Amino acid sequence: MMTTEITRPERTTTAGRWYLDRAGLDDLVAALAADGRTVIGPTVADGAIVYDEIRASADMPHGVGDVQVAGRYRLTKRDDARVFGYVVGPTSWKRWVFPPTIELNTGRRAGHRVEFAPIRPRPERLAFIGVRACEIAAFGVQDRVLDAGPFRDADYAARRASAFIVAVQCTTAETTCFCTSMGTGPEVESGFDLALTELDEGFLLDVGSPAGQQLVEGPLAKAIRPATPVEVYTAAADVAATRARIGDPLPTAGLHDRLLAQLDNPRWAQIAERCITCGNCTLACPTCFCTSVVQKTDMEGIGATNERSWDSCFSPGFARVAGGSFRSRPRDRYRQWLTHKFGTWWDQFGTAGCVGCGRCITWCPVGIDVREELMAIAPPIALSPEPTRVEPVAASFDDFVVAQVVATRLETADTVTLTLSGADPAFSKGSLGQFAMVSIPGFPPLPISISRFTVDGIELTIRGAGPATRAMCALKVGDQLGLRGPLGNNWPIDRAVGRDLVIVTGGIGLAPLRPVIHALAADRRRFGDVRLYYGARTPADILYREEMERWASRGGIEVHLTVDRAGPEWEGRVGVVTQLFDQAQWEGANAIAFVCGPERMMQATANTLAGRGVTTSRIYVTLERHMECGIGLCGHCQMGRFFVCRDGPVFSLEQLGDTFGREGI
Amino acid sequence: MAAMAQKADRGRPGEHGHAARGGTPRPRVGVVKLASCDGCQLTILDLEDHLLELSEHFEIVDFPEASSARSNGPYDVLFVEGSVSTPDHLRRIGELRKQARVLVTIGACATSGGIQALRNWADHDAYRAAVYPTPEYVESLARSTPISEHVSVDFELRGCPISPEQLIELLTALVTGRRPQLRDEAVCMECKRRGIVCVMSAQGIACLGQVTQTGCGAICPRMGRGCYGCFGPREQANAAGLARWFQASGERSAEEVGQLFAGFTAYAEPFRSAITDLGGTRGARRSGGGGFIAAGGTGAGRASYLAGTRRMEGIDDDGR
Amino acid sequence: MTAAESAAREKVYEVDELTRVEGEGSLVLQVRKGKVVEARLKIFEAPRYFEQLVVERTPDEVIDIVARICGICPVAYQMSAVHAFEDCFGVKVDPEVRALRRLLYCGEWIESHALHIYLLHLPDFLGYESAIALAQDDRPAVERGLRMKKVGNEILAILGGRPIHPVSVRVGGFSRAPRRSELEPLRAPLAQALEDAKETVRLVAGLAAPAFEREPRMVALHHPKEYPYNHGHIQSTDGLDLRPSDWDRAFREVQVEGTMALHARTKDGGTYLLGPASRIVLDAEQLHPVAREALAATGMVDAIRTNIYWSILARAVELIHAIAEAIDLIDSYRPPIEARVAWGPRPGVAAWATEAPRGLLFHRYEVDERGRVAHAQIVPPTSQNQGAIEDDLREFAPSVLDLPDDEATLRLEQLIRSYDPCISCATHFLDVRILRD
Repeated sequence: MMTTEITRPERTTTAGRWYLDRAGLDDLVAALAADGRTVIGPTVADGAIVYDEIRASADMPHGVGDVQVAGRYRLTKRDDARVFGYVVGPTSWKRWVFPPTIELNTGRRAGHRVEFAPIRPRPERLAFIGVRACEIAAFGVQDRVLDAGPFRDADYAARRASAFIVAVQCTTAETTCFCTSMGTGPEVESGFDLALTELDEGFLLDVGSPAGQQLVEGPLAKAIRPATPVEVYTAAADVAATRARIGDPLPTAGLHDRLLAQLDNPRWAQIAERCITCGNCTLACPTCFCTSVVQKTDMEGIGATNERSWDSCFSPGFARVAGGSFRSRPRDRYRQWLTHKFGTWWDQFGTAGCVGCGRCITWCPVGIDVREELMAIAPPIALSPEPTRVEPVAASFDDFVVAQVVATRLETADTVTLTLSGADPAFSKGSLGQFAMVSIPGFPPLPISISRFTVDGIELTIRGAGPATRAMCALKVGDQLGLRGPLGNNWPIDRAVGRDLVIVTGGIGLAPLRPVIHALAADRRRFGDVRLYYGARTPADILYREEMERWASRGGIEVHLTVDRAGPEWEGRVGVVTQLFDQAQWEGANAIAFVCGPERMMQATANTLAGRGVTTSRIYVTLERHMECGIGLCGHCQMGRFFVCRDGPVFSLEQLGDTFGREGI
Repeated sequence: MAAMAQKADRGRPGEHGHAARGGTPRPRVGVVKLASCDGCQLTILDLEDHLLELSEHFEIVDFPEASSARSNGPYDVLFVEGSVSTPDHLRRIGELRKQARVLVTIGACATSGGIQALRNWADHDAYRAAVYPTPEYVESLARSTPISEHVSVDFELRGCPISPEQLIELLTALVTGRRPQLRDEAVCMECKRRGIVCVMSAQGIACLGQVTQTGCGAICPRMGRGCYGCFGPREQANAAGLARWFQASGERSAEEVGQLFAGFTAYAEPFRSAITDLGGTRGARRSGGGGFIAAGGTGAGRASYLAGTRRMEGIDDDGR
Repeated sequence: MTAAESAAREKVYEVDELTRVEGEGSLVLQVRKGKVVEARLKIFEAPRYFEQLVVERTPDEVIDIVARICGICPVAYQMSAVHAFEDCFGVKVDPEVRALRRLLYCGEWIESHALHIYLLHLPDFLGYESAIALAQDDRPAVERGLRMKKVGNEILAILGGRPIHPVSVRVGGFSRAPRRSELEPLRAPLAQALEDAKETVRLVAGLAAPAFEREPRMVALHHPKEYPYNHGHIQSTDGLDLRPSDWDRAFREVQVEGTMALHARTKDGGTYLLGPASRIVLDAEQLHPVAREALAATGMVDAIRTNIYWSILARAVELIHAIAEAIDLIDSYRPPIEARVAWGPRPGVAAWATEAPRGLLFHRYEVDERGRVAHAQIVPPTSQNQGAIEDDLREFAPSVLDLPDDEATLRLEQLIRSYDPCISCATHFLDVRILRD
């Protein structure tokens, strides 16, 4: 049953692909140990996933996940027993192939003679379990820097060559991940001996080298069986979902040139006000290779040992010569680092110095995000929207799929929520803030925001303001309509992880934000304070009233309401929604805002938010334009360089720049 | 004065064939103190494995804590512990400087003014009156200051207390006649090299490691807590930037952020400015009120001595 | 001059500097017509206002700050503070945390006692100016002391990150507890240290101490089941028995006229002795069997009670105790389930006394409703011992007045060093003067 073929099988086939159940991890660890290797793998230590020596699978995390945002890392408890249910932690494999400190040689003076002796420890044989795609890419970068000639770091080469690599495909991602942008993951393609993809109860096991093959044929043979097509399919789907989740947070096309053209950008000085130049990013980075040699002398001052340690271009002394430092200002040092990683590294080594693992973002003590800085300093020439681009699912103008009304609910006197089932299965993959083109033959199709995703369909909340919408509101259970979608982009809820979120909306504008609130409530701990500011014309026009009470009472969401006009029974606020902010105590330095409403209201809100320290890059609005095709082909909704339907409808104010609120655009 | 005679000559330095390298006289070393806890000079005695070796390379001519032998200089190398905090210190430090070829300040007190420099934000008279019932006998200056504010300093060893490794490095550098290799980098660097998980990013603990000079071995993060800056600000420390982050990340008021810097090297810039910009120290604000001082005291007169002799019953471990 | 001449002419002796103590101070001995009319230990340590520095700080900040009162016994300050706050807030720590705190204190006692015996006090008995001078004639003896001192420091470093001003003591426990494997490397050096300590007892028991007899009131913590570090009751040789939080029911502080030092006295104005000698007298039953046996073999318990010069022996016996107990604690150590239990502050008075190497150290804090210190009082052992030191000097001085000046002052300094005075705590730089007018 053993295959002799060494190359990695195609993803779609099951030939030569194996299944190892979770208990089989112990067999894997034991097999590697029996091969005379010290096994290094993930462990839980001091509130993080730390790569350290392991002797059994019990030393590894079981059912542990993580949350990572800029400057913040927390372990979480998963509701399953997965061993690799997190992404990369603070340590990188650099620690083992390029240790923090090594002794290089000793020297000694004896009278007028001097002598030197190199220290060449024979590296231990190691095995790494749990190496992610970005980390394999990091080995590749280090190989180019340290072991591709013309000069080589023999110590690195020896350690690197001795390591057996058990890779793990990423089936989860965090907000700091951007391997997709750097072209390094999440799929592990090569550079491993064995690769695991974690499934519910075990792993899909792939072989990547003769050494891996030997293990599979030898000590692991009893622990594995051929994988089933379902296992192969599920593994591929999970990794693909990870790719989709990460999206493309850092458009890299032309980045090298863009960045190097910005050496005088004023942003460098602004970053330096935030950057502490502590060097954490460089030491957390799996590819940074700078070191310094310190000589330890004996008390006679005649014998010495040279010791090489990781150093950082952020330390003031790093570029110091007798006359001073070449990079004396913090801004110089930040610029040096970023332009090297994403620019000049290419010129020197034919690759970027960054693999998109996100460690420099998570472990920056003050939460500086290289992606944000790169986008600000060297914005893409054709700016693509920051919110995740959704792959088009309904590409043509007329691709309507029939759906059936299974429930209706009268929300207010003129607003109805339709629950639809039988919609295109694509809707089940839809995301928060998307819309559908809705058609009742006889009326022009209209874009309607999806106000809820259900198991087999969606909900639409529609205000009967014109003939078509009134017709929709009049539908009864059992009636049908046509749907095309889901369309447009989404609210960037991942950016809100770990931050406070402010949602400001009025009237029917709450509908596209309702799925956001549902998602927040389902995973509340990942977010900071969440505040909803909502305005309606009268108390009777307040949408989702009962639900709103649950959001406040059980969802951990602060709900603030105001109405334009009220009767005597109303004890709440009266006035426009921005007035609700007047008494608010919060500050927005850490907040992100989602705003949906008429453009004038959004403008006023944006001004108010800016006054509280929410920057334009963190204020998202949803634009309303005339849409017909919903896929950027008809031209109706063009706004400057965007098609609102395709590139939006969600935009950050930074993206929109001075086009937002400008008359006549 | 100095009736404390040299003991029988057998103890006198330099007479036992230990002179280093071809009979060159050993450098004359002194260790003296101003306002301090003695911990830094104790670090010299804590060089257990090197202490006796050290005495073969250096002639220790003044080290009152360890030896009755006294000299009043001159010194080839003089280690000074403690901050300048009394009128007498002001006078002494000028004299000591004249006696020392190389003057090395050791520890947070000598290099930054020490924890006692927190009084620099306060009303000194109120402090004095609060601690001592008859303050007029207490001679001290309104500010506790680093030695470098008064005389030139050749080398600094930071820390509360200093690091034995850095002390040895300085001593060997002095013996060899080279510059000591003392890294000017953040504690974070050593923390990361040691593979310690950042307590700030992973646990939300406030840590000053990023703005603090390395040298301690990142012991606080290693021990699961935040760095409290006892090695003082590193070169170009962006204390203001860190303070802004502490405030912006939402969990600490300006006052609390100020307290983070109000530790053992509070009076060193830029920690000093950070504290002042954030409103000074809490203790100083409080000591401004006379009512507090009056409330001081020793708890005297509450129970008689005899009352204390009553045997207590049912005492458990802690007397609870 | 001869002794007879000096007595007849009532001349003035001055000794400016007492060395090998931790701190700066001075002794003034007024001798008139061959009689001591006044003996006063003055301390000239620069004031640092610790009791003000801790005002408005949180309990954990206080633990860090008060350690800086003394670089020799920072753990003692941390221990008195942490127990005061835990007592006030009703915090119950894990039993293993309690054991770890004993181990931490063992480390400090070993370090401090080894330092004092070998580097500060032994040179007096053997006629050297310093341990470095002593090492040139008896290097093995000094190395023995340094070996023990080192293992004490290693305990402190493993538990607290560094020997001086360790960082891990927190209200509720420790910021981090060591793994068992981290304590393993201590076993071999501790086993060696135990032999070294036994040898130390033999060595110091054979020293010649000046003849002197005075039986002071002795005060120490007493615990029925263990030699006192952090727990027990304040007891005395004349029947005192107080909870460790209630020190101020029996004692009070006074500022001595003409100095900045605060001395402690019993409420009736009496002086008392703290430290190894007092503990040996009050707590001999609780000594580790190995230490008890070594003490018994010397047959010198009464000498310790009545002649302060023999405190060096008491210290050596305690060195055995601390080392032997450290070995036991490491043998039975299990990492605590919670290195640090959660706690909340309560307003009130937080007071506690623990046994610093040189004696009882009392802290008292008034804590406000936000858990910050509103008022602090710290009574170090040296300021409590000062009265007893002066009593001893008055008693002892007449016997040395006939000696040559340097001999006389050496004896007086040696007497003062017997108390292991930590003047950095009380204050620094001991300046001995004998004024004969």
